[in-house]
This record gives sequence, structure tokens and C-alpha cells, in this order.
Amino acid sequence: MTVDSTPTALPEPPTKRRKIHDDSTGSTPQRFDTPDKAADKHGLRVSVREKELDSRSISQSRSRSGSRSPSRERRQETDYYSSDRRSRSPSSSRSRSRSRSPRSSSRSRTSSSRRFRSASPRSRLRSLSRSRSDLRSPSPLRDVLGHDPSSATPPARQPVRPHYVPRMVLTGHSKAISQVRISPDGRWIASASADGTIRIWEAATGAHMDTLVGHMAGVSAVAWAPDSQTLATGSDDKAIRLWDRVTGRPARVKPLLGHHNYVYCLAFSPKGNILASGSYDEAVFLWDVRAGRQMRSLPAHSDPVSGIDFCCDGTLVVSCSTDGLTRIWDTSTGQCLRTMVHEDNPPNTSVCFAPNGRYVLTFSMDSCLRLWDYVSGTVKKTYQGHENSKFSIGGCFGTLTPTATTTAIDAEEDGVKNNSNIGEGAFIAAPSEDGDIVLWDVKTKRVVQRVRGAHDGVCFWVDVHGDTMVSAGQDGQIKVYRHRGPDASSDDDAVNGKVNGVASGIKALDVNGTPADGVSGSVTPLMDVDVKKEE
Amino acid sequence: MNLLLSDDYLLQDYPENITNTIRSGHTTCLRFNRKGDYLASGRVDGTVVVWDLETMGVARKLRGHRAAITSLSWSRCGQYLLSACQGWRAVLWDLQDGTRYREVRFRAPIYTADLHPWNHNKFVASIFDEAPSLVDMTTPSDVKHTLPSAPKRTNTDADAATKEKQAKEDAKQMTTATVWTATGDHILAGTNKGRFNIIDANTHEIIWSEKICSSVVTTLRLTGSGRELLVNSQDRIIRTFHLPNLSAEGLDPDTIQMPLEHKFQDVVNRLSWNHVTFSATGEYVAASTYNNHELYIWERNHGSLVRMLEGPKEEQGVIEWHPHRALLAACGLETGRIYIWSVTTPQRWSALAPDFVEVEENVEYIEKEDEFDIHPQEEINKRRLDREDEDIDVLTVDPSKGYDEEVGGEGFRMPVLFNLGESDSEEEFVAVSTGTVRRRSLGEGQEGEAPVEEKAVGGKKTIAAKGTKGRRR
Repeated sequence: MTVDSTPTALPEPPTKRRKIHDDSTGSTPQRFDTPDKAADKHGLRVSVREKELDSRSISQSRSRSGSRSPSRERRQETDYYSSDRRSRSPSSSRSRSRSRSPRSSSRSRTSSSRRFRSASPRSRLRSLSRSRSDLRSPSPLRDVLGHDPSSATPPARQPVRPHYVPRMVLTGHSKAISQVRISPDGRWIASASADGTIRIWEAATGAHMDTLVGHMAGVSAVAWAPDSQTLATGSDDKAIRLWDRVTGRPARVKPLLGHHNYVYCLAFSPKGNILASGSYDEAVFLWDVRAGRQMRSLPAHSDPVSGIDFCCDGTLVVSCSTDGLTRIWDTSTGQCLRTMVHEDNPPNTSVCFAPNGRYVLTFSMDSCLRLWDYVSGTVKKTYQGHENSKFSIGGCFGTLTPTATTTAIDAEEDGVKNNSNIGEGAFIAAPSEDGDIVLWDVKTKRVVQRVRGAHDGVCFWVDVHGDTMVSAGQDGQIKVYRHRGPDASSDDDAVNGKVNGVASGIKALDVNGTPADGVSGSVTPLMDVDVKKEE
Repeated sequence: MNLLLSDDYLLQDYPENITNTIRSGHTTCLRFNRKGDYLASGRVDGTVVVWDLETMGVARKLRGHRAAITSLSWSRCGQYLLSACQGWRAVLWDLQDGTRYREVRFRAPIYTADLHPWNHNKFVASIFDEAPSLVDMTTPSDVKHTLPSAPKRTNTDADAATKEKQAKEDAKQMTTATVWTATGDHILAGTNKGRFNIIDANTHEIIWSEKICSSVVTTLRLTGSGRELLVNSQDRIIRTFHLPNLSAEGLDPDTIQMPLEHKFQDVVNRLSWNHVTFSATGEYVAASTYNNHELYIWERNHGSLVRMLEGPKEEQGVIEWHPHRALLAACGLETGRIYIWSVTTPQRWSALAPDFVEVEENVEYIEKEDEFDIHPQEEINKRRLDREDEDIDVLTVDPSKGYDEEVGGEGFRMPVLFNLGESDSEEEFVAVSTGTVRRRSLGEGQEGEAPVEEKAVGGKKTIAAKGTKGRRR
């Protein structure tokens, strides 16, 4: 039934969609007219000038109206209503989730939930309002790509439902691990440890590939070049080293020297030609990777720079510091374009751009993650539920496609194939000082999964790539998790059994209970997936 | 993405001052790729250097030519680069691995070689004292089609004497510049007698020709849309034309009209122009001057001179405008340096302090109703969290901003190389510390090459460099 309903909902008449655009994002005419442009994409190309003008007029209007355009006010109003609705709804949603939790097989779940949905009119109302807001956001992408009408995006919002189960424990480091990162191609894991070494592991098997020795002190930062062939590491010996993954040897004989104090964070530009580094000397350096030359030194902060990241098109760098500031820099000019600070001025320990580069996520030591809209300079979301007051921790964004399968490669292919579905599954993963890993839904701010006791002591870093999640902590261990789609949830018991077998100290995951909390909004998409899987 | 944060950027759309000076050998020829992140430069010694504009460093060096590079042309995807030299050769480079993808030999030096806009296996070349050639490299052995230079004659019924005279005249016509139209269906060619020919790329025949200037056509350029044509000629006049849509259905070649739009010239100084270029959108025309140091920028709307760029104390040769930014690259004829002209904006100080705003005029402060109400902290926090109910999309990339999409999404990504080791024979300077540079010692550069980036006034730096050349680290 749901499968039937999706295609009918998708090819809505364009006028309607346009109306939605009009309602919600009245301030952005350029988005409004992109579908038309995309339509004749293969004809004569739209002149660049036109676009520039377009964006200019927007930015000007924004600056002139003092960041409070009438449209935004209206939007806030509607948001207010929706929040009202939401604040009322939890009672219903909770009861629903409880009612759903006892079921064990996916089929019985679908039927029960469907019944439930028809029973409560409020839930339908809510899912409707959601679908409206959702249609707006992914539609430009879909239009531009212009393909895949087949991969049906369910009109109702499908909340992200990560379900990562532990698969492997990688041991080898003799001291705490400060960062662990999955390579951009998803095949390798690099871990940087206080013991002064970097280890490379194969993500699929957990095999130890190489140990990179060369730093004279503990290593606090590791970054993968976009081609997954080169690694950059930053250490307390003030040096940045570049390594060749294949040979395990330094890619360049001399390290990048220039920082006056510990190198604390690193990020490669999307093209791999620039490396940004943040240090305890309070500066951000941009390095020309090819020449090994310091390109720019940004007088960034008044405290150690704790986090750094590049946005997806490489034009912006974000840095954060324990002075509480988060700054956006123009890569090409080295100018500061925006500074963001929260009222309470909590120290920031890490920062990253959202996958589309439109928002910035900061990790601050008041046990909050904040999602900033850097254009308006305001906090859009605050995520709470983890513990962070003493250590420098960092996490990342993750995405799940509704059709996510159990292997990382498949997930990647899926991501390419049905881009329109990606919008459905963004979540944030962050470690916690009590050793947990917490995953939030980006839109609802709800905790959608909590991996309890992932590490003994503090969990310092979490990285997600498709279906794979890795975490590292004070105990010197790396844990690798694998997402299991809803179709696999029927054999949950088996998984849990295995989990307990593999990783002692990891409690059985709250497989049914915790994600259900986040799913409460709408149940349909779940069925959708299930139905697809069964075919 | 940075456009979201800066508005003053776009107000000025032509460059104003030199922001970088880069150098690798003696550059004679320049060309930006379509995406605008790389700049290819051809040197006197035949080396082609690809510069990364983000780092202003060398991304690749291509060796193979033995004579000065005369022409460069990028493929649409940015993976292939065609270079032509005075040594009778054209090479198509594959930038993925820096190898010679194809090499084509001619029997004379090449003026220009222009890759087909859609197919990197085809290019058209204008050759010194020879007929222009359309080269098809699809097959393992390349096929050269000779293109005509003689104008199309309509008076077929003329008497023998006239015909003989015309034939004599035609024999003197030599094509000096060729360029593809935007669609790649036609080739535009200029001759040494100031004639302009439109050649059908399939039939290899001239479908239309006219005399557009009185002397040698030296440069032909098109805007990105392919609707405007820029012609530089040795008669000291730069002309812009509106090009008709040659790919229109059922086009009758006899009805083609190519109206002249502007003539740019310096009547007072009677300057002649080394090289000309359209701005990104065709809104401006820039030219380097012969025997003179300035660059001229005209605005095409009214045809008025808007700017004369003065900077380096040398005559400048080839100039190129960035495909979408207000950025010009020009190479100096004497030193062979590449000067990058761009717009610099001052740091906005309000960006550094989040609670400050730069205002145009005084703003009357109006206190909000509840501004100084005292609420318990929990209440404030709760309210704050409740307000965060906007729908956030962290995944959809804003489609309006990208130039990348135009080039075709993913496209080609140039590998990042560490071992650009092969040191240059020519003097290149190594930065020792700020303001001081020294000459590169022999055999150095195994560790990757540090191209000199002489900021601000290039000339003074050179003097400083020469003074300190004995200095060692």
C-alpha cells in the first residue's frame, strides 16, 4: 500500500511544488527558478554572469534587510506552530513506540503500525506537515540531477534509523587514541595515538596494514587526502607529516614545519591540494601540499585551535578554538568571513561542516553539539545527550540511505544511484566521555542510537563512512561498527549474541527500543523499505 | 560557498591590482581551464607548466616540446591539454598521469591550435605559411584535413582575367588564426589579409567569408556562450562582432550577417595590441599593449575604456581572463613572469567580532519589549531549544552556486603530486624568509619545488634577490 502511495505522491504537479517553495523559502528566488534552468540544461548554457548577479542580489538583500527578511519571520511563525504540535505529540509518539516495541518480526510491525497510524488522526496531520517541509528541501537536488524518478522518495519524512552493531575490536596502540578516521573511499582506517604512531587498518577485515613511525611525540591529528593515498598527521612534536598509504613511508622526506606548538587538528581540502592545520600556537596554517610550503598563516584564535575543516567545495575553512569562537575563513584570501560564538562561550573542541557545506557543527565542552547556520550566524540546532566537559572529542555527520545494505561498497553505490534518497538519512555521531557513542537525528535533535560502553574511559573520536562507523578511546582500542538495515533486524537476537561474544563490556544494544524512539514520527517509510527488501 | 558570506566581492567585476606574481621559467603563453582552477603556461624552453590557482603553485610540469610554446587549449573535462610549439609539433597531454596522449607533427611552426569544444580528439591548427589543418586523432594514426584559406567567391560567371587575378590573390591568403565555434560545428578562421572565413567542420568548406579588417588577423576569441567574437588585428583596432547562430536549422550561408559591434583603439597613441581577451561573461574586453606597459580594459556595453592597469615595468604579452572570476593573468615579455591581477577586498572587521555590525549610517537603537526581562537560566535554555525547530537540510547541495555542475559534475580531478622534483635549469628563487629569497642551488628540489611567489611589487623583489644570491640557509 505504501509502495503504491509513493509514486502517486511524487509526480506532483509542478505548480504545487512551486507553491511550497514560495511559502517557505520566499527569500531565495534562485532556488525557485532552478528547475526551469535544469530543464534546458542540455541546451544553451546559462551564462555565468546571470548566476553571479542572482546570488549578488540575494546577498545584498540579505544584508540590507538586516538578516530579518519578512519571509524568515513568517517561517519562524510556522515553525513555531509546528513546534507546538511537536511538543504536544510526544505523548502519542511514545505510546506508539511502546506499542511497537514488543513485536519481533518486521511483518507484524508493519501491520500494527499501519493500524495505529490510521487510528490517530494527529499523527497523520504531523506526517503531512513534515512531508511539506521535506518536499521543499530535497527537490532542487532531484531536479538538477534530473534522473531517477524510479527511486521513490517517500513523501513522508523517513527519520534516520541508524543501527550500528559492533563488529570488530582493533588493538595495537599502547596508549590512548586521539583520532580515528576512515579513508574517503571507505577501505581504510587510520588511527593516531598518544604513543606516537599511526596505524592503518583495513576497514573490511580489520587487518593491520601498517604502523607509521616517525613522530617524536604523541600524534593528535590524522587526515586522509581525498584520493585515500596520502595521510597527513600532526603531532605534539610540532611537525606535520605526510605519508604514503601504500608504502607506509613518508610521502615527503621533510615534515611540514612551521607551527610553534603542538599540531592539534588537520584537514585536507576536497581537491587534496591544500592542507589546513590548527595548532596550540593559536594559528591556522594553510599548506600547499604539493610543494610542502606554508601558503598562509591565519591569526585565528586566542587559544589553541582545536578543530578545523574544509567545506565541500573547498572555498571555506572553519576553525574553532577553546576560546569559544568558531571562525569561517575564505580559503583564497585568508580573510575571516564570519565569527560565531555562543552566549555562554563554552570552549569548542571540534568542528565540521555539514555534508552540503551549508552548516557548521561545533562540539563544545558544555556537553552540547551546536549546528550553526554560518550565514545568519545563529544556532539552528543543539544536540544534547552525551557528556563532554573535560576532553577534546570529535565526531561527524553520517548518512544512511533508506535502502542501505550491509556492505559499505553497496552503500556507496546506492548513494550514487539514488541521490534523492540521501536527504532522508542524516545523523550526527559523537563520542561521550562516559565511553558511549551517541547518534542524533539531524532534524529532530533526537538521540536515535546510543552505543553504551563502547570504550573504557573516554571515547575520543567517532567517524562514520556509509555503513561503517569507527570509534577510538582512552583504552587504546578501535571499534568498528556496521550498520544493519531494518531488514536484518529480524535476527537481532543473533546479532546481540555475537556482539556480546566479540566485545566484552559492550552491553547489548538497545536495538528495538532506542531507534524506535526516533522513528516515532512516521512509520510508513520503514514499511516501504521492508517491502522493497522482500521483493 | 564563500559567496554566501561576502557581498562586496561581486561589486567590482574587473581586476584592479596585482595580487600574485608567479614564475616558472620564461612564460610565453597562458590558458585557464574551463573550471578556472588551473592555469596552463607555456615556456620558451618548451615546458608546459600547470598552475594550481588555489595554491599558486605548480601542479604539473609537462616536458616534451623543444621550442617555445605558442598555443594552449584545454579539453572540456580538464583532463587533456593541447600545446603547440614553434617546433612544428602539437602535443595532447593527459593530465591524469602527465603523459603524451598524442603527438602530431606539422611541416611548419604552429600559430594556434584549438581543441574541439566537446571532443578532445579533434583540433584545428593554423600553421605558418601553410593551409590550416583539422586534425582528427580518434584513430591510432591521426588524420589531417587541410582547410581552405581562399575566400568564397560568388561571381562564378566572371571572365577569365578576373578569375586569374582572384586566383592570384587567393593564393596569397594564409590563415593565421583559427578557433572553434561553441558547438564545434564550424571553424572560424582569420587570414593575413584581414579576411574572416567560416568553415564547415564536416565538409571542410568555407561557407561564408568577408574582409573584416585591413591587416593580419592575430587573435580570434569567443565568449563562453559563443555569441560574440573578438578579433585582434595588426591594423591597431580590436573589433567585436555578434556571431550569428551557425547551428540554426536550415541556415543559408548566403544570408549570414556578422554585424560589427565595437572598434576599440587608442587614437591618440596609435597603440597596437599584443593580445586580447574577453572577460568571463564577455562584458569586458582586455588587451595588452605593444611597446607599452599598460593593460587596457573596455566595457562592451557602451564601448568605453574603463580602466588602464599599470603595474609591472615591462611590456606584457598574452593575457587571459579567468573563466568566471574578475581575475586576469598576463605574462611579461621580458622576464617571463606571470602577473595575476585580481580584486582585493579589505578584511571586514565585523566578521571578526560577532556582536559588531558594520552600518552605513547611524541606527537608532530601539529596545525590544522583553529585552532586559530577567528569566531563570533554565527557562532561557528551554526557550532557546524550543526555538530550534527550523527544518534543516544538511545534505542537499545548493544547486545555484556551482560552476562545477556546468562542467559536468564530477569531472576530472588532477592528482596531487609530491615529486615535481625535476629542478629547472633557469634561475628560480627560493624563499628563505619573508622578504628574502635566494637562488636555487643545483640539485635541490628533490623535495618538491617551491615556486617563487613574489608578492606585491615583483620588480623590487628581483633586485633584492640578486643582491642576496650568495646567501645560504
